[in-house]
Amino acid sequence: MQLHPRYFGRNLRDNLVSKLMKDVEGTCSGRHGFVVAVTGIENIGKGLIRDGTGFVTFPVKYQCVVFRPFKGEILEAVVTMVNKMGFFAEAGPVQIFVSNHLIPDDMEFQSGDMPNYTTSDGSVKIQKDSEVRLKIIGTRVDATEIFCIGTIKDDFLGVINDPTTV
Amino acid sequence: MSGEEEENAAELKIGDEFLKAKCLMNCEVSLILEHKYEQLQQTSDDPTNSVSQVFEKSLQYVKRFSRYKNPDAVRQVREILARYQLAEFELCVLGNLCPETVEEAIAMVPSIKTRGRAQDDEAIEKMLNDLSLIKKFE
Repeated sequence: MQLHPRYFGRNLRDNLVSKLMKDVEGTCSGRHGFVVAVTGIENIGKGLIRDGTGFVTFPVKYQCVVFRPFKGEILEAVVTMVNKMGFFAEAGPVQIFVSNHLIPDDMEFQSGDMPNYTTSDGSVKIQKDSEVRLKIIGTRVDATEIFCIGTIKDDFLGVINDPTTV
Repeated sequence: MSGEEEENAAELKIGDEFLKAKCLMNCEVSLILEHKYEQLQQTSDDPTNSVSQVFEKSLQYVKRFSRYKNPDAVRQVREILARYQLAEFELCVLGNLCPETVEEAIAMVPSIKTRGRAQDDEAIEKMLNDLSLIKKFE
């Protein structure tokens, strides 16, 4: 962490910690996924003054909660958008797309005000805000987010029927 | 990055770093994030401005998908699952998805059968029963 000399003084440690949180929380990398929250500072090492600028660099060791989706992982997500190519869902900060090829054949796309996928007997419906259980089959990481491809074609995947909300 | 091609959660191939790291279930993350949010509310006037979108989305997500709301129940769930020689990752997927049958559990976490740790169906069934008991009495 680099700190400008204006932050030195009694509150140096606090400034360092809040800068750390601002800089690091919300970022994502291919290795660790999204950094959701910093939970603790383990160690702050001695600062090293940069030549010519006066900024000081501190090595900071910290603990944090990360969210990292894995290929082959099964998790639950909320549907955010449905169209004839498939549907988009979100699991926290991660976006997942399920193509219509990976939606069971007995579910058909229905357009309208609330586009959805429904089984022929109308018993199961996937639409915006539905909760689904899906399997991640691929992940892609770019600078600011992680994007996944998923399927609901396997056993035990698909809309979650929560008996307590019925 | 070179391990990406072989990555496969179904076989527990998730990289050394994550195999050794502590995994958290949604309900545990919910407790942590809520606590942090409350702390922020006390120290700043407008907490919604000081948390990232990632934090907010994650908080909403884990709150919505937490099967157990009570901190004691959460602790019990971890204790029960910890008795079964599971990897952290497997423990959390089971705690998050709460499969009802052995068949479902194996479909969710195929690695519990393939790692040769003598996880027979009876043990898995007992584990699932214990979990559903906690849910009933939460």
